[in-house]
Amino acid sequence: MTRLAHRIALLGAGATLALASFAALAEPARPECIAPAKPGGGFDLTCKLAQSALMDSKALQNPMRVVYMPGGVGAVAYNAIVAQRADDANAIVAFSGGSLLNLAQGKFGKYNVNDVRWLAGIGTDYGMIAVRADSPYKTLKDLMAALKANPSQVVFGAGGTVGSQDWMKSALVAKKAGVDFKQMRYVAFEGGGETFTALLGGHVQAVSGDIGEAAPQLQAGKIRVLAVLADKRLPGDLGSIPTAKEQGYDISWPIIRGFYVGPKVSDADYAFWEKSFKKVMASPEFAKLRQNRDLYPFSMTGKELDAYVKKSVKDYQALAGEFGLIK
Amino acid sequence: MSDRIFAVLWLLLCAGMAAVGWGISTEFAYEPVGPRAYPLLILALMAVCSAWLLFKPGEAVDWPRGALLKKVAVMIVAVLLYALIFESAGFAVATALLTVAIGRLFDGKWLHCAVGGVVMGVALFYFFDRLLDVPLPGGLLLG
Amino acid sequence: MDTLGFLGQGFAVAMKPGNLLVALIGSFIGTIVGMLPGLGPINGVAILLPLAFALKLPPETALILLAAVYMGCEYGGRISSILLNVPGDAGAIMTAMDGNPMAKQGKAGVALSISAWSSFVGSVVAIVGLVLFAPLLAGWSLAFGPAEYFALMIFAIACLGGMVGDKPVKTILAALIGLFMATVGVDANSGVYRFTFDDIHLADGIQFIVVVIGFFSVSEILLMLEQTHTGETVIKQTGRMMFNLREMVETWWCTLYSSVIGFVIGVLPGAGATIASAVTYMTAKRLHDKEGTFGNGDIRGVAAPEAANNASACGSFVPMLTLGVPGSGTTAVMMGALTLYNITPGPMLFTQQPDIVWGLIASLFVGNILLLIMNIPLVGVFTRMLSVPLFLLVPGIAAISTVGVYAVHSTTFDLVMMALLGVFGYLLRKMSFPMSALILGFVLGEMLEQNLRRALSISNGDLHILWESPISLGLWLMAGAMLVVPPLLRLRRRRKSAQAIAVSTV
Repeated sequence: MTRLAHRIALLGAGATLALASFAALAEPARPECIAPAKPGGGFDLTCKLAQSALMDSKALQNPMRVVYMPGGVGAVAYNAIVAQRADDANAIVAFSGGSLLNLAQGKFGKYNVNDVRWLAGIGTDYGMIAVRADSPYKTLKDLMAALKANPSQVVFGAGGTVGSQDWMKSALVAKKAGVDFKQMRYVAFEGGGETFTALLGGHVQAVSGDIGEAAPQLQAGKIRVLAVLADKRLPGDLGSIPTAKEQGYDISWPIIRGFYVGPKVSDADYAFWEKSFKKVMASPEFAKLRQNRDLYPFSMTGKELDAYVKKSVKDYQALAGEFGLIK
Repeated sequence: MSDRIFAVLWLLLCAGMAAVGWGISTEFAYEPVGPRAYPLLILALMAVCSAWLLFKPGEAVDWPRGALLKKVAVMIVAVLLYALIFESAGFAVATALLTVAIGRLFDGKWLHCAVGGVVMGVALFYFFDRLLDVPLPGGLLLG
Repeated sequence: MDTLGFLGQGFAVAMKPGNLLVALIGSFIGTIVGMLPGLGPINGVAILLPLAFALKLPPETALILLAAVYMGCEYGGRISSILLNVPGDAGAIMTAMDGNPMAKQGKAGVALSISAWSSFVGSVVAIVGLVLFAPLLAGWSLAFGPAEYFALMIFAIACLGGMVGDKPVKTILAALIGLFMATVGVDANSGVYRFTFDDIHLADGIQFIVVVIGFFSVSEILLMLEQTHTGETVIKQTGRMMFNLREMVETWWCTLYSSVIGFVIGVLPGAGATIASAVTYMTAKRLHDKEGTFGNGDIRGVAAPEAANNASACGSFVPMLTLGVPGSGTTAVMMGALTLYNITPGPMLFTQQPDIVWGLIASLFVGNILLLIMNIPLVGVFTRMLSVPLFLLVPGIAAISTVGVYAVHSTTFDLVMMALLGVFGYLLRKMSFPMSALILGFVLGEMLEQNLRRALSISNGDLHILWESPISLGLWLMAGAMLVVPPLLRLRRRRKSAQAIAVSTV
């Protein structure tokens, strides 16, 4: 008798548990992806990638929409989520390595890296250093030697302000060449497109940027990428480009792209999102979608991502300190 | 007279902004000009223009008076409130309220404004949110 | 294959019934979206992109849809400018200057139809330019570095000198307010925050769409309230719908050169429809305004900016197709669309995927014909919009404008900013500060400052870089001519008429 009762109780508990987990894994009614930029940028692409991946694979039944909330490489969206929509399970927000760098420099207002729940990293881009196809600098070494001989004969261009991640790459190159980063010549443009136009027009001699945005110019043979700032050579067509590391300069600069949710989103809802992303990212279709957007594999969710993000922010903080960006 | 008042206010604003702008500084920069010179130049030019306006004001402005002034004030408050409650109350509710407030200013009848407001709030919500896929806050009613 | 062969092939793609239908739908949706204040081509394209994807349209069809929407928006923007004095998108700000006075004189139909016509001419001129000169122009636009852009901005400002009119101090002050507002936010060079008062919402500066909607839409409904209170009818809805031959001849010349100027400015990444329409409006005013009719409903003041903004929209395809660099915000979104289809815009596109490029060019052409056919009969429908009672029309404008802001800036902060700028704009307009000077100052401001500083950091402080290249030197000379020539002409005219009077009195 007691045994039976025990069994029934167990069964009941199991059922409730099953029911609970079923309820927990119900998807949000109005899922939305917040792209903290104007339409057309990298954040938009990140959201569109999640949108097509989650919807094509039927991980989401309700249509997921993209909401634009530009400002400060994600600062506005970060504040809106933490302050106003902390428990809104509908919204996932795109972030990038650039957002983390700004977060590290305290440019996200009063909030810090512990104020949201980091959800998933879905891809990464890598930094690169490029010159025009007809440039005298054939390798990273040539460029470094020229920089060292006379820092003012090479003008760097990039699509970001001083302190941005595009600038960091130039500054790291100068530093490795043994040149004071304050001595190098640097021109900030608005985004990668303008930067490449300036390079092709001969207004600057070298650019630092992301390999994804360099791909079209590279295919057309208009530019030469001197080094990709990854630990290993890239898979696919771009595998012929040497890394900075193998040329003897230890510079690695991945720019991850991913999502976070509000700090008070329930564990159940967080689990739903995490599970969906995990499932989707394991599929071969996702690999194709990711490749279409010029991104490289970087799949990380939950705790693992949380640790990664926090470590990145710490590293960025140290780096920004070295460059005198944090007062 | 309005020109003069405006000029004085604007001169004060320029002075305030200049004080803020003076504090713009960088640790290091790659350019000879820097971020501080240009805004200060613009502020200086604005101050010159304002001073000019102070001494040589244009003709008097026909500001709204009496009933009209009240109407304009109501409209400004209505638009501000609309902006403030747009997200929390939701598009449909906020728009219905706005329509009643503004419609009354344009001599609409209570009933017409109320019906029109509700219809417009709901119709525009579906038009933008569902048909054109511009996400709008659903808020109190359609959340 | 030669250009003509490719173009023929392109037309074969564009004229497929399915693609024609898609172009028709795109044009229509574009016109509607363009007409709604605040919603512009960026929204139109962003809205339809997922749809194209969901329907699994093949790449050329999807591109045709997006191009049709883009063109449709450029047509649609003029409608609310003319009828309501609320620009439907940023490129249509100048259209309101003469379009709305025309509507107030009961010539709304004429203004709408002539602007549809000049939009069409502008597009056709630009498409021809695209076909013939795209590779050439791509090289030319590369020659534009920071120094050249700075000279271009100086030229644009010199053109705007024509705006000064009878209130020089207020015009200059308005432009300065615009220039100053553009400095708020992160400095694109040094990365320091300027005038943000530690509010992250201002980190990217005051947003363009918020400024446009605030100053033009919100302040306009406040002015409407005054006008109705004083018994002034807002707009008469009478008269003919079509322009006549005389009006077409009158506008022909300025439509044509505005198209060319618009196209050239559109080719330059970063410039765009707002600058193109302002420069051509001012040029037309300088060349033709002998009796002070501009600003009071001169038909050429409607034709010139409309031709220019369409031409510039087509021109912005040049850098996108040939360089892989977006020529405008909208083409940036379209490039994103292309990458989704695994098409990489850029130098290789013409050789690798000619069917897509030429299909797009042909469909731009087809789309414009559809838009012209669609827009002329719709003039009657649009003007009927004015018979909506004000107690519904005005809150409708307010709500739709707010949606326009919310679509790109989903924060209460930006909505409140919009409302406050609207009140500020109302005060300024009451005191007869010209809003167009302010908005152009705002548009030109950032490019002016940043390009000057970029140029100087390239040259390490050497000022020579600013006029070294032939392009920048040419632009400086043209800017000088813009400032010097019109007063000289006026002087000569005055002297002539003085002589004539002298002769007649003798």
